[in-house]
Amino acid sequence: MEQSVGKMASGSTNPATEAPAKLELRNISKWFGPVGDGVHAVDDCSIEVKKGEFIVVVGPSGCGKSTLMTVGAGLENPTQGEVLVDGKPAGSPGPTRSVVFQKFALFPSETVEQNIKFGLQMTGVSAAEQEARLVEQLKIMGLELFRKSYPSELSGGMQQRVAIARALVMQPEILLMDEPFGALDAQTRTILQEEVQRLHREKHYTVLFITHSVEEAVYLGDRVVVMTKRPGRIKRVIDLPRDVIWKTGDIELAAEHPEFIEFRREIWGLVREEIVSI
Amino acid sequence: MGVLTDRGKATAYGIFSLSVLLTLWICATSLFQWIEPRVLPSPAQVIRQFAWIITEPFSGLRLPGHILFSLERWGWGVLTAGLVGIPVGVFFAWNPWFKTFLNPVFELIHFIPPFAYIPLAVLWFGASTATQAMVVFVAAFPAIVINSQLGVAQVEKIYVDAARVFGASPFRTLCRVVLPAAAPSIYTGLRIAISNGWMALVGAELVVGKVGLGFMIAQGQENASVATIFVGVITIGCLGVLIDTLVQRSERYVLPWRRVAG
Amino acid sequence: MGQSRTLQVAAGLGAILAWIIIWAWLTRPGGPVPTLYFPAPDDVWAKFVRMWQRPYIGSTLPNHILASLYIVLTGWGLAALVGIPLGIAMAWWKKLKWIVFPTFQLIRPVPPLAWIPLTILWLGIGDSARISVVFIAALVPWLMNSMLAVYSVDRLLLDAAKTLGANDRQILARVVCRTALPTLVAAARMALGNAWSTLVAAEILAATAGLGYVAVNASQLLDTDVLLVAMFMIGILGICMTGLIGLTQNWLAPWSVLGARRD
Ligand SMILES: Nc1ncnc2c1ncn2[C@@H]1O[C@H](COP(=O)(O)OP(=O)(O)O)[C@@H](O)[C@H]1O
Ligand SMILES: [Mg+2]
Repeated sequence: MEQSVGKMASGSTNPATEAPAKLELRNISKWFGPVGDGVHAVDDCSIEVKKGEFIVVVGPSGCGKSTLMTVGAGLENPTQGEVLVDGKPAGSPGPTRSVVFQKFALFPSETVEQNIKFGLQMTGVSAAEQEARLVEQLKIMGLELFRKSYPSELSGGMQQRVAIARALVMQPEILLMDEPFGALDAQTRTILQEEVQRLHREKHYTVLFITHSVEEAVYLGDRVVVMTKRPGRIKRVIDLPRDVIWKTGDIELAAEHPEFIEFRREIWGLVREEIVSI
Repeated sequence: MGVLTDRGKATAYGIFSLSVLLTLWICATSLFQWIEPRVLPSPAQVIRQFAWIITEPFSGLRLPGHILFSLERWGWGVLTAGLVGIPVGVFFAWNPWFKTFLNPVFELIHFIPPFAYIPLAVLWFGASTATQAMVVFVAAFPAIVINSQLGVAQVEKIYVDAARVFGASPFRTLCRVVLPAAAPSIYTGLRIAISNGWMALVGAELVVGKVGLGFMIAQGQENASVATIFVGVITIGCLGVLIDTLVQRSERYVLPWRRVAG
Repeated sequence: MGQSRTLQVAAGLGAILAWIIIWAWLTRPGGPVPTLYFPAPDDVWAKFVRMWQRPYIGSTLPNHILASLYIVLTGWGLAALVGIPLGIAMAWWKKLKWIVFPTFQLIRPVPPLAWIPLTILWLGIGDSARISVVFIAALVPWLMNSMLAVYSVDRLLLDAAKTLGANDRQILARVVCRTALPTLVAAARMALGNAWSTLVAAEILAATAGLGYVAVNASQLLDTDVLLVAMFMIGILGICMTGLIGLTQNWLAPWSVLGARRD
């Protein structure tokens, strides 16, 4: 892994950076179809997500970001390499690693309430506890009024709030988000980006976040991993300062910050190289 | 990788399960006679019956003769259904008033099952080809009308407008622009109609007539000959599959512009 | 919009009225169509009222209707009991599909009616022969559509359920079966349509009561008006039953009948 840009964040002020890796993707390669003949989606990618860290993966579309995430979630087995949680093999998917999908993946036959309670019911949480956690989550995501609605009655932004609530209510150790705002309009996206930022600041979730938006990466990430075009490899890992002003303000203000502009320019340069090269 | 081996496995499992079934049949009949031949004939008996009906006349005709009679009745029914149904469907889509007026009669044909027309057809036509053809017609007609109508309604208005801009008359627009665009849907309707008609024919022949595959089955029941019924059922099933395959395969020749590139 | 809808309904009713008038005119005394071939509308109505109270070939019209409904609903229900679980299981466990599907494919092209003579030979002309033919006719749509319903569930939903800690059994019960419900409602309609139409033929061939039995006897006795009553009843009952099934979708799968998104 190459390191770039001096560590502007002072590691000592943040205990999380000293902690052991919560989620580790170690030398992951993934082929769809026979090795050597199928689609080579991901090639030898290693990513460490420490406890409380917000890692963002950016790369051109089709480079294998989603594949990396499905492998990280345990939904696909890697062709090579392994996925570790707290240093131990992660095994099959489960509620310690909650996932938010780009296309929401809400159960159409269930109301908002049922969707959010789904995972709790699957894992045998008591009814009282279910209700308490549901109410809390509805409040956090601003969904109180939509408790009895079906997903098809909600706007895209609201649906994604439900999906995020459904993931958070499991109190996951790790949150995996695959372009969660990719299907939303620009205004809704901005608001949700700010909310995710706020949530992370307050609750210190461990997040692996995937996006193709450089701006989103700089705004949200503690570290940004830039991938090459397919087969996706790790091109560069960039540490971002944690406690600067733009991380606490809204994205419009952040985007005017000179450092923000500098990082965005640098990362966009890296991504652009991958898009234009043949 | 997965697809190919899966298909291979599927075939293997299929062959295995069908052979188990066949073995069971042989065991139950020829080998151990668990079941009386009167109830379930052995495979050998069915094959013998097949050979017998092909070579010796059964109720006056050999098997090909029965098949030809069935095909003739079915052909008349489907042909008239097509000749009447396609124009009706096209005009249903073309002119809403025409549709509003004819709709009650159409819905009557659509919602009363074709077999309910058998007694009426018998009353009108007696035991003639027209009886079975009418039942086939009733079974085939709705699918043709509905799909022709759908096909025409789906033609995008810009094509019609484009033709009008070039000065085409409504009739020429219909022939040159609308019908070719609607043809795939009409074809689908014909395909459904053809197989619906085949199903209905069997019912009609079971009730009325002195020849045909349905009649053969009915005779099998009359003579308590399960083997004859099997011969009839197998022939009907195979012909049904054959007809449907032919129709499906022929689409690319009848509608060459539907051929997909590559 | 509302007005043009009213106009449509009015035009539709007008068309029905027009056809009844045409019908009455064609079959008037001394008219071009002899009533032996096609009776006048008032005769049919009179016969309908009469059959409602007086028995025709053994039973009153309501009893014939009940006899038909009993057979069709039993056969259709039994087919559902077999077809839905088997279809879902075949779509879920592909080995089961590999084993069962070839046999099913072999039987499928045979028109359900062709089984009537066989069932009569095997089971006699009692209810069981007709129930089994209706069963066969309804089984194909039940099974095929249950399979399709499972295949049409978005894979993403299965992934989502897995990441929420659901095991295979839970996914099958809660995600697959519930998401598949609207398709199953459609399957129910198709199965009932097939069952109803097959029942009519079965009753023509072997029965002692039922609407098809009424129709075939009326035809032999040249009671054309009774025949038309039977045919109309067959059509109307078919429409009513499929309509009722359509209504169940509202409470079985309310999410599938909601309007468009609110944004
Ligand atoms: N299930 C699959 N089977 C075959 N190819 C796949 C599959 N999933 C993804 N791919 C291929 O792998 C590559 C990477 O896909 P993906 O990870 O979705 O990219 P990204 O999320 O970065 O846009 C793409 O070329 C895609 O077509
Ligand atoms: Mg993706």
